[in-house]
Amino acid sequence: MADSPGEPSELEILLPRDLAAASTRLILTRWAAGALVILATLASQRMLGVVLPAGGLYLTGLAILMYNTVLSVLAHRAPAADPAVTLARLRRLVVLQVGLDWLCMAVFLHLTGGITSPGIVFLLIHMLMVTILLPGVSSYLYVALGVGGLLVLALLEASQTVPHFTLLPSLPEGLYRDPLFIISEIVFFAAAAFATVTLASGIMTQLQRRERQISALFQTTRAVSSSLSLSEVLDQLTRNAALALGTTHSSIRLLDETGERLRLVASYGLSPSYQQKGPVEVSHNPLAQEALSGRPALVDETADDTRLQYARQVLDEGIHSLVVVPIVGRSGPLGILRVYADQPRRFTDADAQFVMAIARQGAVAIENAMAHETLQSADTERAQFVRSVTHELRSPVGGAQTLLRVLLKQMSGELNPTQQDIIHRVETRLDSLMALINDLLALAATTTRGFQDKPEPVALVPEVRGAVEQRAAEALEKNISLSFTSPQGDPWVRAGHEGLAHILGNLIGNAVKYTPDGGRVIVRLETRGASAIVSVADTGIGIPEDELPRLWQEFFRASNARKSGIVGTGLGLSIVKRRVEAYGGMISVHSRVGEGTTFIVALPLIAAPES
Amino acid sequence: MAHILIIDDDPDMVLAARLCLESGGHTVDSAGGPADGLKQIKAKRPDLIVLDVMMDSATAGFQFALRLRGPSPDPDLASFGTIPILMLTAIHSTTPLRFGPDDAYLPVDDFIDKPFEPEALLKKVNALIKS
Repeated sequence: MADSPGEPSELEILLPRDLAAASTRLILTRWAAGALVILATLASQRMLGVVLPAGGLYLTGLAILMYNTVLSVLAHRAPAADPAVTLARLRRLVVLQVGLDWLCMAVFLHLTGGITSPGIVFLLIHMLMVTILLPGVSSYLYVALGVGGLLVLALLEASQTVPHFTLLPSLPEGLYRDPLFIISEIVFFAAAAFATVTLASGIMTQLQRRERQISALFQTTRAVSSSLSLSEVLDQLTRNAALALGTTHSSIRLLDETGERLRLVASYGLSPSYQQKGPVEVSHNPLAQEALSGRPALVDETADDTRLQYARQVLDEGIHSLVVVPIVGRSGPLGILRVYADQPRRFTDADAQFVMAIARQGAVAIENAMAHETLQSADTERAQFVRSVTHELRSPVGGAQTLLRVLLKQMSGELNPTQQDIIHRVETRLDSLMALINDLLALAATTTRGFQDKPEPVALVPEVRGAVEQRAAEALEKNISLSFTSPQGDPWVRAGHEGLAHILGNLIGNAVKYTPDGGRVIVRLETRGASAIVSVADTGIGIPEDELPRLWQEFFRASNARKSGIVGTGLGLSIVKRRVEAYGGMISVHSRVGEGTTFIVALPLIAAPES
Repeated sequence: MAHILIIDDDPDMVLAARLCLESGGHTVDSAGGPADGLKQIKAKRPDLIVLDVMMDSATAGFQFALRLRGPSPDPDLASFGTIPILMLTAIHSTTPLRFGPDDAYLPVDDFIDKPFEPEALLKKVNALIKS
């Protein structure tokens, strides 16, 4: 059998919490036990008139209460960062509790009549509790120790090494020394203890198994909703299926396009050579056929089963039993999930049904992840398409623009004024066509994966200052006062350089463009709370109030901007808004016709990188 | 006055550049692709090369520059490694990528974006010839 992966699973990390809860229950019960010893002694003495070593019993009760106080303090310590340390600490605490309990129990039994004590039944209860706390082999050890301890106590009293206290006067004199009584008492007690512990630990193991399965199903459900990566989903599924059935080996095979071959897509705990055992073809694999028809297939002993396609490899891998279930998607079977075990007859029909449940959840996750991957590749194709279209559109327009510019500059001979005017008009039309192509590309870039620039930490002051400086010449030409106010500090945000330059260039460019000669454009950068705020305020033509809500729509231009004769595509602001939002920011505008417009961009601040 | 070779597969771009450079007093030859370009470099040894990036492949211009001036140029081209190269590119205005001259990876002297301003082209060409 191949080595199983060694990292601790989430299931194992869950255990300390269970142990802690059980340990707390034991401590709570002990308060009652301590109080009961004291009260029962009091009642027997005062109300029933029983003669008993009351002093010793009171002390025993008090001792129980005292060490329980200490245990309770220890149990409330904060868990360590490493779950393994916490688990070890809890185990030690449980052993300490049991040890102290044995001691008090021995004293209590001794004071209440030794082997003839009616309190012997409490010993049984304590064993039961320990079994529930620590199911498995260790509980038998406790039973053996308990029975041994009881025998030692009986022998010590019988041999008069320690005194004997008779609790019930009605018992025959010397009963505690009667060998037959001692033997029968010990044998019956031991039989009862072993039977109780066996039953209890069986129930506990079963419970733990159920818990494991519920946890695996829960994790599978979580995987369905949390991951869109196909390989992650498949890895989770194989792992959960194996853990749920308490084995360490599983695999998933999915049908390929032909619907005939089953391709290994994920495995857990299988050796590389077994993973490469060969192609699994549905027509040659009776187990796969059975599973793909919708029913789970069980193999109790691989050595005797004729349905195996790779019988020798299965035995070489040390696999003795396995369960195969279908993974059925919305449109039909997707593949099969197998769980392997190194013992024969390891899986029951209930196990198979359980893996079916996991596979059903898994099918949803697999289909989602597959759909997501298809979308992603479609996105990549779209990006490629946009790139080609852009190139194909830009090069002829660019060629024509360049030729016209050469013509206008009279580099190919003189032009008369009418010719110049015509060429200038054509050039203007081509310029706006080129602007439209560039804006369309920018718009596509905001929604197409592979085009979006990668956000990284950016210092805002130099970016904003650079964007302002880029428009300085244009502002000067129009006699517009363009100012930039920067804050005291050094605000950083997470954004793409290209996108940020586009946002700032567009807003400041618009402000200069739509502000009449002699106006003002004020660019202000400040920090407010957790945001960096860039505001661009102008004394321009403004935007009619009823048109403000449509300002961010593609191709929308305010009516007064349209009439102004200023060239624009109506795409700029919608691109700006998408980009700002892509960086986790918000953009807002207020404006008054004839007075001016202010755009405000808020971006989340980040800490400046150290270097 | 210099002799300039334009390598570009777009005849309109070649014509525009030719008219522009000739109006600046230069003599101009042109090649429609890298192979023709190499032939002309060997035959006429221009004073400057105006080189397009995207020709038969998206990076044909880069590869051409590397063959001529890269860390290990073709032996028969070694003597032409000193010719200045002005690269003509549309990449700056269509992608977020930014290039700068770099001896090892991009051995060119300057860039100009397409579509270019005729005066800007003349200015860059004259500056490169002078240096």
